[in-house]
Amino acid sequence: MKRLVGVTLGILTAFGGFVDIGDLVANAVVGSRFGMSLAWVVVVGIIGICVFAEMSGRIAAVSQRPVFDLVRERMGPRAGLVNLGASFFINVLTLAAEIGGAALALELVTGLNYLLWVPPVALVAWLVMWRVKFDTMERVFGLAGLALVVFLVALWQLGPDWGALTTQLVRPPQDEGVPTYLYYAIALLGGAMTPYEVFFFSSGGVEEKWTRKDLVTARANVFVGFPLGGVLSLTIAACAATVFMPVAAEPDSLGQMVLPVAEGLGRIGLGVVILGVFAATFGATLETALSSGYSLSQYFGWQWGKYVAPGRAARFHVTVLASVIVATALILTTIDPIKVTEYSLVFSAAALPLTYLPVLMIANDPDYMGEKVNGRFSNLLGSFYMVLLLVVALAAIPLMLATKAGQ
Amino acid sequence: MSEPARVLHARLHLLDRQVVRESDDRLLCKVDDLEVRPGDRPYVTAILSGPLALGPRLGGLPGWLMTETDRLFRGEERPGPYRIEMSAVTEIGSAVRVAGHRQDLALERWLTRNVVSRIPGAAGTQEQDAPDDGGREAPENALRVRERREDRPGTMRLAGLLGRTVRGPSGEVAGNTVDVRLVQDGPLLAEVQQAFRPAGLLIARRRAGRLFGYERGPGLWRPSLLGALVRRMHGEIRYAEWDQIESYDDEEITLRVAWDRLRTTADL
Repeated sequence: MKRLVGVTLGILTAFGGFVDIGDLVANAVVGSRFGMSLAWVVVVGIIGICVFAEMSGRIAAVSQRPVFDLVRERMGPRAGLVNLGASFFINVLTLAAEIGGAALALELVTGLNYLLWVPPVALVAWLVMWRVKFDTMERVFGLAGLALVVFLVALWQLGPDWGALTTQLVRPPQDEGVPTYLYYAIALLGGAMTPYEVFFFSSGGVEEKWTRKDLVTARANVFVGFPLGGVLSLTIAACAATVFMPVAAEPDSLGQMVLPVAEGLGRIGLGVVILGVFAATFGATLETALSSGYSLSQYFGWQWGKYVAPGRAARFHVTVLASVIVATALILTTIDPIKVTEYSLVFSAAALPLTYLPVLMIANDPDYMGEKVNGRFSNLLGSFYMVLLLVVALAAIPLMLATKAGQ
Repeated sequence: MSEPARVLHARLHLLDRQVVRESDDRLLCKVDDLEVRPGDRPYVTAILSGPLALGPRLGGLPGWLMTETDRLFRGEERPGPYRIEMSAVTEIGSAVRVAGHRQDLALERWLTRNVVSRIPGAAGTQEQDAPDDGGREAPENALRVRERREDRPGTMRLAGLLGRTVRGPSGEVAGNTVDVRLVQDGPLLAEVQQAFRPAGLLIARRRAGRLFGYERGPGLWRPSLLGALVRRMHGEIRYAEWDQIESYDDEEITLRVAWDRLRTTADL
């Protein structure tokens, strides 16, 4: 149990990237339309986020510098500002979607329209960020998110045709066009590697006062949290492929997306999965709202973080509060939260290289890292992913326009 | 002097780093720019921060918006950027640590007083900082570059030397400045601490962009793909000693010697 508590930062961060509201639905949609033929993208995403989260966690432990400090320091004020603008925009959009997602989970339980739940969810989320200690917050929502493991149990209970799932791995369905396939591939990769994950993860490491002694903790967080998030996202796709694909249905809401669990495990399973969905989306709400404060403060050099009293980090807390207010207003316009994340995922794919390039550079800088610089393997993977991310960044927006966002 | 003076590259090691207050690890600001006292042996006098230091570096509409908004809300007639004397710097590493009881920047103090302290549960707003212990006035000196409206008289900003076109003695374009090499052998600032002196310029043949640290020896070109790419984009990189500079202004820098006679970075 003690070991598990030590990796809740990784779990909370990863769930915010892999199984937040946009990905929950996107995974189910992808599963029902493409079967398991996009599973390889998730695997590529898991490895990619592990490589860069490990570097950023190691940098945070050795030098106490979180990711946006590195962006500003290595890329300079201009490119840093471009990245800040893009990341902040994505953060607030995603924050709006996550607040909506947590409210949708409450609608599933209570039957009350989700718009009624939006203001209380936003208020409680802000109170948590204002007053609750970082490690308490991370433990409660990281552990509660583990309820989503019920998808694994449900998949096993559904008894899918494993042979068919395996064939789907290498054979995309014939009735979908190549651009649409690639568009979803980019959306999945963007979801797996969203920049706010490393902002939150490395800042969380600083909040927890990691030092060189905690390098093992940092690694454990990365190599437990992110693969677990990735496996869950694959499981959700597999459940959808089993239940929806044979009847050619496409889930388009949270209520439909949890149906495979209800079919496999009945009412109790449904209760657990809704708890998991709520915890994951609420956790992602905290992650994106704090990330907006972290990135802005770290760009300008302001005091940030929950490790100081709220009154000692005024600009940081005002930023967080303002982001929550703007995001709440946005979601109250009745804009569809799931649509919002679909767009923000693609924009985030376009912003990826500017975030991961300075991480890769500084992980190699002996002035920062001493003897803890990247090994050859990390550099090989890191360089490969930089090329990949560059291609993805260039292709993301043209593909979105060409496929009308995957329709 | 027993040990060799410390050498830093301004853009790589100092600019845009986090400034941390030594006494309580509080994050104060970024090194948005450096104040330099020009002359035959110029030296760095202070760290400049805040919108009035960052804005001019950003340039364009965002930079203009940043400086003008700041001026609008500052009551003073000639508001200057937030300034930390170099003599207060105790350590330059992944962060720059400074001694003394420096106040926070104006925006933090205003938000603490007028917004955050009014929200219930705002612990910590009562901990007021001691007033700024300020800094000694830099001695005045003849101007060599056009000073900004808010700068201290007789000073210039280090970022003004970056990204400039460099010309050789016969007026041909030699390259662009990519970094400024600082050597800690300037005049004494505090009893034991010498000032950093701009000792020369790193000049790239092709591009004015950042070198990301890949100007250092090939042993540090990692990952190798990235190092090779950045070096290739910049073309050949050479080093001009300070006394090889004929003149400099806001637009261009003119050298006394031709490109071929400059030192290569391999000698550094």
